Amino acid sequence: MSFIKELTKGLIKENPIFVIVLGMCPTLATSTSVNNAIGMGMAATFVLVCSNVMISLIKNITPDKIRIPVYVVVIAAFVSVVDMVMAAYLPELHKSLGLFIPLIVVNCIILGRAEAFANKNNVLNSLADGIGMGLGFTLALVVVSTFREILGNGTWAGMRVMPKTYDPMLIAVLAPGAFITLGLLMAAINLLKERFQ
Amino acid sequence: MKIYLRLSLILLAFCVVATALLAFVNSATKPRIDELQTKAADEARSTLIPGAVFELKQIAVPEADSIEYYEAKDEKTGELKGYTFTASKAGYSSNVKTMAALDPEFNIINIQVIEQAETPGLGANCTQESFAAKFKGLAPDELLVDKDGGKIVSLTGATITTRAIANSLRETVNLIKASLSAAPAEPEKEPKP
Repeated sequence: MSFIKELTKGLIKENPIFVIVLGMCPTLATSTSVNNAIGMGMAATFVLVCSNVMISLIKNITPDKIRIPVYVVVIAAFVSVVDMVMAAYLPELHKSLGLFIPLIVVNCIILGRAEAFANKNNVLNSLADGIGMGLGFTLALVVVSTFREILGNGTWAGMRVMPKTYDPMLIAVLAPGAFITLGLLMAAINLLKERFQ
Repeated sequence: MKIYLRLSLILLAFCVVATALLAFVNSATKPRIDELQTKAADEARSTLIPGAVFELKQIAVPEADSIEYYEAKDEKTGELKGYTFTASKAGYSSNVKTMAALDPEFNIINIQVIEQAETPGLGANCTQESFAAKFKGLAPDELLVDKDGGKIVSLTGATITTRAIANSLRETVNLIKASLSAAPAEPEKEPKP
């Protein structure tokens, strides 16, 4: 029962971006197009699941005082391994996701979940938490990038959705557009939450 | 005091394990990654100038790394078809590496951005076909962005990226051109029967 609960909480109820507001930097950087958003989301999910499991496994042999440096070492080593293995054996996937891998190291969702969840829970629940949070992150990125790509480029996942005559609103794909879109979306989500409570 | 020593040693142990793991993975994957990169570069070259054999040439540049370029000759006749080279320069957020093909008169046949980490949606659009089309047929002196008085229309919101590519190409083309016109032309090899 708790496995399912940990799995689904990341999608909406504790969405890492819209609710916990973690990992803003990669969100702003990679939500310019839906394809980038999915790439970043998938790569981060993969690393998050692995690091959550790993940290949950070593939580008993990690002294409390130095847990943060240990997590940083584990996550950084893990990301590098993923990067190298992917480049050697999955070159096609690496070509599309490779750009996002260095960004994952500084993605504080990963460190955040390690500290707030994997550190205190067993391996199975940490796995569920990693999958749920990763998918929630992906979902939020796709939502933000949908608005930004349609307004700023007239396309969705590379397909043209606006008429040819549409003059792209360039600000949407620039950095300010990311803040504005994210702010408006959070306001809308908070409004909906208040209505339904 | 003892506790600090203990903590340091534990952290050290974690780092040793992580480093060993990374060293192992690196040594296991490096040959394959290099091989894939060489293969990708070969493929990129053959797309830029199809049906040619490539020969590596080097130009010594004082106080810098030597420049490498490839001379492309027709597979069958051995006739000079042009040159390919790779140029790189710092763009907005990354080093932008571009591979370009020149015809024997040093005009651009085609270009391909092979490595970049520019802003997605803006500078990263330099990998698109429509961007390469802006460079086709340009002579070395025309390789300037519009803001610098040239013909190349910058990518929207990414003048710096466009400028880095145009400048890196122009500088390298000029170096190749200078070295080829300074050195006496190599005696023509007999075409293979």
